Amino acid sequence: MKKFSQLAVPYIVWSAIMLLLPVLLIAFYSVTDSGNSIVNFKFTFAHFQKFFTDSSFLLILWRSILIAIKTTIICVLIGYPVAYFISRCQERVQNILVLVITLPMWINMLVRTYAWIGILSDGGIAQTILQFFGLGNSSLLYTEEAVLLGMVYNFIPFMILQINTSLSKMDKSLLEASADLGANHFLTFWKVVFPLSLPGVISGISLVFLPAVSSFFIPKLLGGGQFFLIGNVIENQFITVGEWNFGSAISMIMAVIMMLSMYAVRHVEARNSGKRKEKKA
Amino acid sequence: MKKRYFGKFLMFLMILFFYLPIAFMVIFSFNSSKSLTHFTGFSLQWYERMFNNSAMMESLYTTIIVAVIATIVSTVVGTIAAIGLSKSKKIVREIVLQINDFPIMNPEIVTAIGLMLLFITFGVERGFITMLLAHIAFCIPYVILSVMPKIRSLDPNLADAAMDLGCTPWQALVKVIVPQIMPGIISGALIAFTMSFDDFIISYFVTGGGVKNLSIMVYTMSKRVNPSINAISTLVVAVITVSLIIVNIIPIIKEKRQKQNKTMFKNKKTPIILSFLAIATAITLIAWPKQSQVGKYQGQTLHVYNWGEYTGENVIAAFEKETGAKVIMDLFDSNEQMYIKVANGEPYDILVPSDYMIERLIQEDLVQKLDKSQLNCLDLINEDVKGLPYDKNNDYSIPYFWGTVGIVYDTTKVSEEDLEKEGYNIFRNEKYKGDIYLYDSERDSFMMALKALGYSMNTKDQKELEEAYQWLVDCVTTMKPEIVTDEIIDNMVQQRKALGLIYSGDAAYVMSENENMGFYMPETGTNLWSDAMVIPKNAKNVELAHEFINFVSSFDSAYDNSSYVGYTSPNIEVMDELSTTDFEGINAYTPRSNNKNDEVFVYDEDTRKVISNYWSKVKIAASNAQ
Repeated sequence: MKKFSQLAVPYIVWSAIMLLLPVLLIAFYSVTDSGNSIVNFKFTFAHFQKFFTDSSFLLILWRSILIAIKTTIICVLIGYPVAYFISRCQERVQNILVLVITLPMWINMLVRTYAWIGILSDGGIAQTILQFFGLGNSSLLYTEEAVLLGMVYNFIPFMILQINTSLSKMDKSLLEASADLGANHFLTFWKVVFPLSLPGVISGISLVFLPAVSSFFIPKLLGGGQFFLIGNVIENQFITVGEWNFGSAISMIMAVIMMLSMYAVRHVEARNSGKRKEKKA
Repeated sequence: MKKRYFGKFLMFLMILFFYLPIAFMVIFSFNSSKSLTHFTGFSLQWYERMFNNSAMMESLYTTIIVAVIATIVSTVVGTIAAIGLSKSKKIVREIVLQINDFPIMNPEIVTAIGLMLLFITFGVERGFITMLLAHIAFCIPYVILSVMPKIRSLDPNLADAAMDLGCTPWQALVKVIVPQIMPGIISGALIAFTMSFDDFIISYFVTGGGVKNLSIMVYTMSKRVNPSINAISTLVVAVITVSLIIVNIIPIIKEKRQKQNKTMFKNKKTPIILSFLAIATAITLIAWPKQSQVGKYQGQTLHVYNWGEYTGENVIAAFEKETGAKVIMDLFDSNEQMYIKVANGEPYDILVPSDYMIERLIQEDLVQKLDKSQLNCLDLINEDVKGLPYDKNNDYSIPYFWGTVGIVYDTTKVSEEDLEKEGYNIFRNEKYKGDIYLYDSERDSFMMALKALGYSMNTKDQKELEEAYQWLVDCVTTMKPEIVTDEIIDNMVQQRKALGLIYSGDAAYVMSENENMGFYMPETGTNLWSDAMVIPKNAKNVELAHEFINFVSSFDSAYDNSSYVGYTSPNIEVMDELSTTDFEGINAYTPRSNNKNDEVFVYDEDTRKVISNYWSKVKIAASNAQ
């Protein structure tokens, strides 16, 4: 048996170099002041200070989180009914519908986002339709709404698939039992189906929220150069400004916020499922 | 039941939402014109261009090769690691699994810059190998994550039992454990393939040496309308759709057969894997790089780092044909972006930076002196762009394009009077609120602000810089401009906005495409700039680089470059020829030389830092004002 445990050794070494070390390097760069090399460094907290004392950085962080929250809420509100509908179909239809939703995910994310540029640009199909219904003539591309649309479009499949998995795993006899005990459709949904699908909703939320906060190509393609989110600020620091230490500091801040929110979400979920188990007992 | 109708309707809308952009892409890939909004007729020209664009085909090839290798390696390594970990001490397992979670729990951009810092800190040359390593690094965690639960549900005594019955440990592993956890391994492999195939952010940060995958290609090409992107996407869509349909039909056929004779594929997912191999081979065959041509430099490669949309249609192909060498071209959209890559040791043979950046590269000893005995082009160059202050004897640089910066405007919306009266301050005239473009260049945005305030664009005075910064912040917060780079070209051709800050060459192109457009250079002065070719210190193919400089400066290539892109050629004959033909009557094509307020940008490290920080704050202010 001992022999099998040795199989893990190469990966332990690999993960130390390729997964742990990079994070340590970001942490290191974020508290030193030596440009792009690690010779002759000096420890400093100036980068964090710069971020937290400048309201424009804080505002942009807040806006990134806000737009990610909006994306997540829209994804839950639309994704849940869709997933619910799919889970109520026959198995063969279910498989087809899941395939239909998965298929676009195989096509490159950037390519799909690029396709929206043509639809949303002035004189494009979206504007024509809106004009037809008399809904105004304003620009659609390079607005916050365009960015939101792009994010929902890219991330909603994750939400639908996660919720659908948890819904279709559910024991169907529970529904019958609930009906037998006199609950109507709504009550059954609210008291039985919804709580049981929560783990799916929660893992869906983390799959949508996480990439939405840090996304930088969706804002750049659909929001234009004047639309900055925290991901763009980081990209900008590394690619154009060249202040890697400051860029690392922002990355650290973002990573910590994400870690905390993910643990919070998982904690809430764990407590809920704990309660349920207690009730069962 | 009402509810079902609602559900069906919702599902219908959802499918429409998912497939509308894809349908759109497919349709417009057959468009006969460049427009992304109007379908003008059927044509296959974008497909032809795609197949002739070797960089595009190679990006597809890179994407697939990386995805296939990363999937195979990460599946094997991940499975072995998961089995090993399951038998390890609890504490070891917990720690490794926590670390394993990093790429999943962290925002992708954090993983990306972490890996980039790793490669740069340890001096690993970035390119195909680093991209592959990075992909393997973020794929393995997903494999482990999907294999681990299957191992947990195994009877821990299974391997012992097998060995008691005479198996060697290896046999126990391969014949007993692996088959039991096969479904987990396969879904892990599928996730790994998708993640790798779709990846942009990590690849973007860790790649180098001109190695691009499809995502990076699209990202760098998306500034200008380019229906070839639609064509290559359609190709990918077609192959994926066909193979997924096959995958889903096979089981149905098999099911029918199964009713007749029972034994069939044990594993439902085997055909998926098979079809992936099929897709991979199909695309690889299509995208296989063409053999390089015959010539003096056959088999050699020239790495060029140039501005986006800065070369004529046939220049590179002609150069490859003449020399037999292969050209790999990377594109940047700001001098600063180029500098960071070069300063971090990325090896290119030719760079095309602007004046002040060349000064910086010379100061920092990043470029080498040209060997003038190998150059035959100096006599062809316009005296106006020779011997400029940044390189007085042209020891380091040979001009590529030159021009000014000015205001492109829609003559139907903007009166020339306003322009003459206000100069750059027209960008703060609320009459044009929401109707202007700014250019995403720290250097030229500050030039505009400083000139608007009547200062020198080379000022080192902190107060004046601060004032210019305030000018720009006020501009972006009150005027709601769009801050663009090359997007301005197509958009002004389409007359989308009234005004924009623009390089003269782009203006020349815009004016040649749309006669309602004008170009104005304010009397308060402008930036007289030139972009020139230099050879970096760490160039690998210096001789071929000289060859390239000669080739690009010759009449034919300079003509192709200048007539296609619209920028003023330093080749005097080409400039004379084009200003009387293609660009006749277009004031943007011939740079002005008689205004005493016009300046050449001078490099100063301290000022650059100040401007750089200010500009990124201006953009943040613009974003926050939305």
